[in-house]
Amino acid sequence: MTPILEFTNISRSYKRGVPVLDGVSFSVVPGEVLGLLGRNGAGKTTLLRIAMGMLYPQGGTVRVFGLSPTDEPVAVKKRVGYVAEDQILPGRLKIAELIDFHRYLFAQWNDALERQLLDRFGLNPSSKIRQLSKGEARQVALLCAVCHRPELLILDEPAGGLDPVARREFLETSIQLLNREGTSILFSSHHMPDVERIGGRVILLDKGKVRLDRELDELREEVCMAILPRASAADASAIEKIPGCLGVRLVLDGWHAVFNDSPEVVRRKLREKLRVHEVRCVSLPLEELFIELVGRDRKEVALA
Amino acid sequence: MDLFVNPSGELSLYRQIMRQITDAIAGGRLKPGDKLASHRELSEQLVIAPLTVKKAYDELEALGFIETQRGRGTFVCASLPRTNPANQHDQLREAARRLLSQAYLAGLRFSDVEKLLKNADRELTGPAVKSTPGEKVKA
Repeated sequence: MTPILEFTNISRSYKRGVPVLDGVSFSVVPGEVLGLLGRNGAGKTTLLRIAMGMLYPQGGTVRVFGLSPTDEPVAVKKRVGYVAEDQILPGRLKIAELIDFHRYLFAQWNDALERQLLDRFGLNPSSKIRQLSKGEARQVALLCAVCHRPELLILDEPAGGLDPVARREFLETSIQLLNREGTSILFSSHHMPDVERIGGRVILLDKGKVRLDRELDELREEVCMAILPRASAADASAIEKIPGCLGVRLVLDGWHAVFNDSPEVVRRKLREKLRVHEVRCVSLPLEELFIELVGRDRKEVALA
Repeated sequence: MDLFVNPSGELSLYRQIMRQITDAIAGGRLKPGDKLASHRELSEQLVIAPLTVKKAYDELEALGFIETQRGRGTFVCASLPRTNPANQHDQLREAARRLLSQAYLAGLRFSDVEKLLKNADRELTGPAVKSTPGEKVKA
């Protein structure tokens, strides 16, 4: 399938010699829901802004529907919806006025969808934006981002600061758009259960690079973590060099080693390479996997 | 039929859906010829990606439990797949042994296990699924 969004070898830094993105490549195909993960500062927002043509990549290329978002911003923005992490909406306007403004920008604005969403979110069009709660403001931003029926929806941290009910409503709306309009979704999130719920594939950014790019089902079924006594390896690199190892972390008295293999294969490899028998292997929920892959070693530290 | 999913559960979402549908077929809550919710309906009810529902349905179709009739929808197959009975018998005996050993280690008696089995039977064949925490919807 032709990708609708394609990053090729993207690099970008804000300070000379300190790359935020360092050769990032992946693509999104139609109908896909892709969750973008990474620690704070991992470059998620930078990457999404590059896709929107709001930032130039310093290296590499980005194509949205085959077009460059900086060379053809209008053609691209017509077909993309975007909700920024801290969407700043003009507080003095009424909801209706903000919607009018968007309707004026987009010839293909869908009035029926607009009414449905106002109704679902229980928003009063004559309310001033300033008087909205955080959740309501995000719902307005989502409404403004989707009523022109974009083919690609880019959401930067859609769950940020929302209560569970508002978050679920936000997800429900996204899923419905995906179904009705065939919209693909690229969203960044720190909220792993949301990612596990609606995501099909996840990308983990770490130190400017794509650390992981897998289907969620595969992560759950084909990736596992071995817990080894500290004495079984002299240092992390002894484990890291075993084929299929995705990451090793020292946690108090043991090694946590994540492998791209089933438990049986991991046990066999560890027997052959490290002569360790009776290894405990566990499958990891996304949150734990995230911590194992991008977390730091954990040592005994007494808090004063 | 009631379906629920728990994104943080042991099984991946598509396997949770597969298991619940095969459970319903096994218990007779879904009968041959019954119509299932469409990809779209189920994905909106459960608030999960439609591709996840598609994956569950595709696997169930490959296993011979359900079939898609173009333009009409997805149905439980009229004749359900039967695995080799001799094979199945060995597996079930092994599963029964494991169940009993776990129960005895936990200090239960045989009569307790019988009660457990009766409860499980009610859950499987009864009208409503008793759900573990998670979403519950009509499917």
